[in-house]
Amino acid sequence: MNSSEFEQENLPRWQRLEGMLDGVEKGRVPGDVEELPTLFRQTCHDLSIAQHRMYGLGIVGRLNELAIRGYRGLERRTAGGWESLFRMMMVTFPQRVRAEWRLFWFCSLVFWGPFLALALWTPHDPEWAMSLLGPSQMVSLESMYGEHTSPHEFLREEYGSDFMMFCFYIYNNVGIDLRTFAGGLLGGVGALFVLLFNGLHMGASTGYIHHAGNPSTFYSFTSGHAAPELIGVVISGMAGVRLGLALIMPGLRDRKTSLVLGGRQAMTLLTGAVAMTSFAAVIEGFWSAQPMEPWIKYTFGATMWLLTIAYLTLCGRRVPHEA
Amino acid sequence: MAAAALTDTLQAVELADGVEIRLRIAGPAARSVAWLIDLFVLTGCYIVLGLVISQVSRWTGGEIGQGLMLLCMFLLSWFYNVFFEVGSRGASPGQRSMGLKVASVSGAPVTLPQSITRNLLRVVDFMPFGYLLGLVCCLFTRKFQRLGDLVANTVVIYSGDKKPAPSRQNVNAEAIAPTLALSREEQAALMQFIERAPQWSDARKIELSDMLEPLTQATGMSGLSKLAGITLWLQNRGRKG
Repeated sequence: MNSSEFEQENLPRWQRLEGMLDGVEKGRVPGDVEELPTLFRQTCHDLSIAQHRMYGLGIVGRLNELAIRGYRGLERRTAGGWESLFRMMMVTFPQRVRAEWRLFWFCSLVFWGPFLALALWTPHDPEWAMSLLGPSQMVSLESMYGEHTSPHEFLREEYGSDFMMFCFYIYNNVGIDLRTFAGGLLGGVGALFVLLFNGLHMGASTGYIHHAGNPSTFYSFTSGHAAPELIGVVISGMAGVRLGLALIMPGLRDRKTSLVLGGRQAMTLLTGAVAMTSFAAVIEGFWSAQPMEPWIKYTFGATMWLLTIAYLTLCGRRVPHEA
Repeated sequence: MAAAALTDTLQAVELADGVEIRLRIAGPAARSVAWLIDLFVLTGCYIVLGLVISQVSRWTGGEIGQGLMLLCMFLLSWFYNVFFEVGSRGASPGQRSMGLKVASVSGAPVTLPQSITRNLLRVVDFMPFGYLLGLVCCLFTRKFQRLGDLVANTVVIYSGDKKPAPSRQNVNAEAIAPTLALSREEQAALMQFIERAPQWSDARKIELSDMLEPLTQATGMSGLSKLAGITLWLQNRGRKG
């Protein structure tokens, strides 16, 4: 059989598959769609034959194209996205964090170490914190949490409505999470730098408010969203370092495979971190600035810490780990 | 063969069905142009968004408008490509206009996590400026993958070439049996030569066929027609056998 006989014999089948794929790609489902896998497999067989018999670029190219389109049509997933997101948040993500407990404590240390050091040191010797913050941030901190402010009067008006602040926190804080993850690809250095810098900066702010402001204003504002936000920062750092470690310590795998697998694990961590940061943005936007008694705020904050810790330690314990 | 495989933009991938498909990988040049087009589209999006939101702000107050703008900027700057890549076409507007699309290394459509991964890592690929790191990485990988592509296990390929299949050529020559035993690769090369020959000038055809003097025992026009005869013989052999 030469190539034109081969083409004549099988052309109707190829044209049927082409027509079917045209429909599928445009989102229409043809009536005889059950036959798609069979037609696809037959066409793959034709492609193998055409390749082996060297039937030339025309036929082989056409069949190659058809096989790619058929494969893409069959492989496309159009449903199950929300379900798998839910599963990731309730099972895979907490499991992943627990599986990477060493990394969690390491990143926590990188973040909380400088945070606590500066927060505790600054009231005694504010020079370092002041040089880190710079004059403009010192002014803005004082205007928000200065000595003459009180927890009962949060002046949201001057910062805009709750909704705008919520959007700003999404834009800024979640953006930082995403950048931390990406920076991790540089051998983890980028992610560690962001963690360290955030730790230093937040520690300096906290310490400076103890030195020159009214801490109870500060704590009653921040206590509500502190737990998901700070843990979210640490976990986005974990995601970045995970990616960096996959690059510099591939272990028994070759570097490329290690990167792909590490990237998947890091993506799970990042998705969780983004969810936690977004949740924190909701609280920070719509709850933290409500004028309420500090004890209500503190109770709420403590509950958030308990919930966050319970979520990470308990969720998905009964479900077996995925490979 | 190793050197040829390195420089070939056709990458063979074996599917689970046992068949080998060939993906045409897109290089940095086409992808850069696609990116520039996307940049224009994005700028247009920002302008339109700014106008729409400034109108909306009149009804809702400036702060809601500012908030919406921030939210849209966040989504556009991080997820513009993701939105289009996981769609049915698998390509951003820029990529579509260049005839490109994003695919998993296996040729399958990209999944949502893959698309998010490759687009978040643009930040690193962009470093230190203008996608320099991504470009260098592209040039050192066989499948022209930037760092984001490596981690997400994706490639940018040409979506099906729409040019019609070349019509069958009538070779005006008598079938001649080759004097040497030809390997499969050599036979394939001859077939491709004849298929592509109509696109070249006579001088180019002769230049190429002269390289096969050991096979044809002739140069110039007679070498070329002898080569055509051998190819015809190879093509028709199946019919007799």
